[in-house]
Amino acid sequence: MTHAATRRDFLRQAAALAAAAHTGLLASPLRAAPPAAKTPPALVAVFLRGGADWLNMVVPWKDSDYHTVRPTIRLGEDEGVLPLDSRFALHPALAPLAPLYQSKVLAPVINAGSPHGTRSHFDAQDFMERGAPGLRNITSGWLSRYLAATAKPGGSEFRALAMKEVLPRSLRGDHPALAVPTSMDKKKGQLTLGRFEEFYGDGMPGAESEQGAMKGRDEEAAKGEEVVQSGRMTIDTLRRYHEITAAAGSGRGAYPASRFGDAMRIIATVLKADAGLEVAAVDYPGWDHHINQGGIEGRQQQMLADYAQTMAAFAADLGERLETTLAVTMTEFGRTVAENGNNGTDHGRGGGMFLLGGGVKGGKVHGDWRGLQPDALADGRDLPVTTDFRDVLAAGLDGVFGFRAPKDFFPDYKPGRTKLF
Amino acid sequence: MKPRHPVFILACLFAGPLMGQEPEGTLPLTERERAVHALSRLAYGPAPGDLERVLEIGVEEWIERQLSPQADAALEDRLAGFPSIRLSLVDLMDQYQAVLEEGISAEERRWLQRYENQPRSELLQSLLVRAVHSSNQLEEVLGDFWRNHFNVSYTKGGPSKFLLTDWEREVIRAHTLGKFGAFLAATAKHAAMLHYLDNASSRRPPTKQELAEIERKVRRRTGSRERGEEAAQLALQRGLNENYARELLELHTLGVDNYYKQKDVIAVAEALTGWSYNGGRNGDWAFLFRNDMHAQGDKRILGRRVKGDRDSGLAEGEQVIEMLAGHKGTAQFIATKLVRYLVNDEPPEGLVDLAAKAFQKSDGDIPTVVRAIVGSDEFWARENYRAKFKTPYEFMISALRATGAELQESEPLLRSMIEMGQGVYLCDDPTGWYDTAEAWLDPGVMALRWQFALDLAEGRVAGVSIPPEYWDDVPDSLPPRLWQHHLTQKILPGGAGPRTRAALSTVTDDYLAKTRVPDISRLGPQLVGLLLGSPEFQQQ
Repeated sequence: MTHAATRRDFLRQAAALAAAAHTGLLASPLRAAPPAAKTPPALVAVFLRGGADWLNMVVPWKDSDYHTVRPTIRLGEDEGVLPLDSRFALHPALAPLAPLYQSKVLAPVINAGSPHGTRSHFDAQDFMERGAPGLRNITSGWLSRYLAATAKPGGSEFRALAMKEVLPRSLRGDHPALAVPTSMDKKKGQLTLGRFEEFYGDGMPGAESEQGAMKGRDEEAAKGEEVVQSGRMTIDTLRRYHEITAAAGSGRGAYPASRFGDAMRIIATVLKADAGLEVAAVDYPGWDHHINQGGIEGRQQQMLADYAQTMAAFAADLGERLETTLAVTMTEFGRTVAENGNNGTDHGRGGGMFLLGGGVKGGKVHGDWRGLQPDALADGRDLPVTTDFRDVLAAGLDGVFGFRAPKDFFPDYKPGRTKLF
Repeated sequence: MKPRHPVFILACLFAGPLMGQEPEGTLPLTERERAVHALSRLAYGPAPGDLERVLEIGVEEWIERQLSPQADAALEDRLAGFPSIRLSLVDLMDQYQAVLEEGISAEERRWLQRYENQPRSELLQSLLVRAVHSSNQLEEVLGDFWRNHFNVSYTKGGPSKFLLTDWEREVIRAHTLGKFGAFLAATAKHAAMLHYLDNASSRRPPTKQELAEIERKVRRRTGSRERGEEAAQLALQRGLNENYARELLELHTLGVDNYYKQKDVIAVAEALTGWSYNGGRNGDWAFLFRNDMHAQGDKRILGRRVKGDRDSGLAEGEQVIEMLAGHKGTAQFIATKLVRYLVNDEPPEGLVDLAAKAFQKSDGDIPTVVRAIVGSDEFWARENYRAKFKTPYEFMISALRATGAELQESEPLLRSMIEMGQGVYLCDDPTGWYDTAEAWLDPGVMALRWQFALDLAEGRVAGVSIPPEYWDDVPDSLPPRLWQHHLTQKILPGGAGPRTRAALSTVTDDYLAKTRVPDISRLGPQLVGLLLGSPEFQQQ
């Protein structure tokens, strides 16, 4: 296989492939014209839940300390790692990402994470998704705050979605976002939405002044007003979503047959419909590999293969649109540098991130590497966090949307520098 | 808009005792509202006839009876079809574990593997049957609280498919209305938890002699010096697994970062090394302390010294569990969670303190804590009435109860639960499922509830049916235009708001315009489906 040499070559090639794969399916009635030279910007946030072991994803393959502390799960030349530069290599299961790196649309960030030292999944995820490490009084998500800060009156109601039944914390907040009920039958669903329209309609229906005597009960009902609003949003946005996905057909293309593959395929479909979608969030659970993580083979390898195939298919599917679409992959923390006794690793500190597309300066491993000598480790056991995840998110928002995060967007945060865009 | 005045006037006749009162927040709940509230929070909503029964015996008396569960013969009959839930672990595995002998066909293998999943299916179905039909509703409501508090999950795989049957019966149900300390100890020693949070594989690092022994053995076996060294290196890495120790502190007792630090996590993990089970194909999966895996020596935990004991390190772990169960942080944490669950997503501070005190005074006696909460003024305050958003589980169970549904087969219901994001015993995260609106109220999720509501009422949920007599109690003299009010009383005894009433009228009018002889068994299911999907029914 020949690798595309430059970003432009890659995008052109990807666009051609995607068009070929979807011949006949692209004739969406929702799209008035083919995408203009510059497609609208969008950000897709992929969260690997459980604390993914970044050290075996972007591997310090020549570091002898690495091989010493991971005698069972280590990856080196013999295991067929894919070198990125003289220091780092990709896990062999991430092979589909290698061409993206070579064509400079993929940027790995090492030792990224949160300055807060918690090793609790739930706290670490909350802190990261709210962009507010250690601050329990911040309840909105960073994506929701972006949406709220840039909302225009009368703007699209369909700016954000999550590919799961329940919204992730990054999208919780004042700005509405659709949690897609992925299991619902489309046709039946449409009928259902229609039948509940009046129950969740705008305002209180007629004759209110004549109900003075019923005041107590109306206030009773007002407690459920949040439910009503949520229901109304459900009807409006789900209708839009169904229109778009129905028009796009259901071919799988190059995406693997997995939940994550399906989710990214649908996001690409909605993005390509130019329906005003700016932000999408996808969860990939199950990275908490205390046991049987494995090295060249094992649970992590299987998940990485699925992840990488999906991301590569997504990049190809978007084609030139990848120039304006940024996919950020993150995880709440990395894992212990040394393997544990169960062919796995425990909760650690520094992890990593992947940025794909959106004009990122790819083809380079970003971040500050300190080695694996005991005195270079956090608490003597974990990768130190040398890049604050908020630096990456801020750079991403700026890079793809031109949105400069205002001062308190990330509360209690001192911006650091990245050269990602 | 259609004229609605006549309907409104009549609606007032059906609207219940709140009519014409002062704005809420000033008046105490009426007796009927108290009964509705009790049935909404201490039960999965009223089933047909429940409200009348509670009013007859009195709310206080009903609560007392709920706190001392009585035998429920009708429920036992319904559970007869799930024989595996009564089997001991040994019997269960003897009977269901697949023995894949060599030379069996692919079809035989598939059959055996399906058969292995029978206990899981029976357990989950039995849980739904209990939640819907048990007359001891509070036991079920609290059982689910603890099931999530001490979360374990089938998603962990391996022996979970057998262990959880025993876990549910011997740990959750046996302690739901017992003492917290004994409960915590039971969770800590059950194979389901030891497996789910990996404590069974946590061990002290090997000694130098043991490493030399390993190296020698491997060298002799493989004839390779390098392999021997590798094996020793590998063995050196085998050791402590902090997973259970962390969740024990964070989720089961003190709450995240309350009173403990990372060094406490490690020390607790060390104290619990060797806590394991007698597993394997011929094991009985009973708790087993393995002294050879135990990290010897004194430990310092939460500022206190836990003395090591060479002969039996078991006592160290037991001491830790006892210390945690009696810790004031635990009382506060459990009280907060229970008040949030039973009263309000924003737990009133005073009530939390009251419950925490009851917890400490009674040595963690769960009924005493619940009595303190339910006996408080806050529990009955109007601002907490109909103020909690139902989780998908609560929504589904309450819908099944409100319609008097009979469950012939619950697998389709279990699938719906998974679709709504809350599969029973399928929460991967040790947090268990959250019980707050913040976790569940998103645009999008409502669609699945609506779908389920219509499917249930209109008879499209496989394995579930609303009995025909459900529609029989509509008074013959009641004009069809008023059927909606009769049904509203059945589904929403707390009443419906004007928007819902108006929307129901639209449906009624449409139906009546098209029908010569109105039939409650035709219009009724439509209205009930809509009532179950209404905003009011999502609250409790």
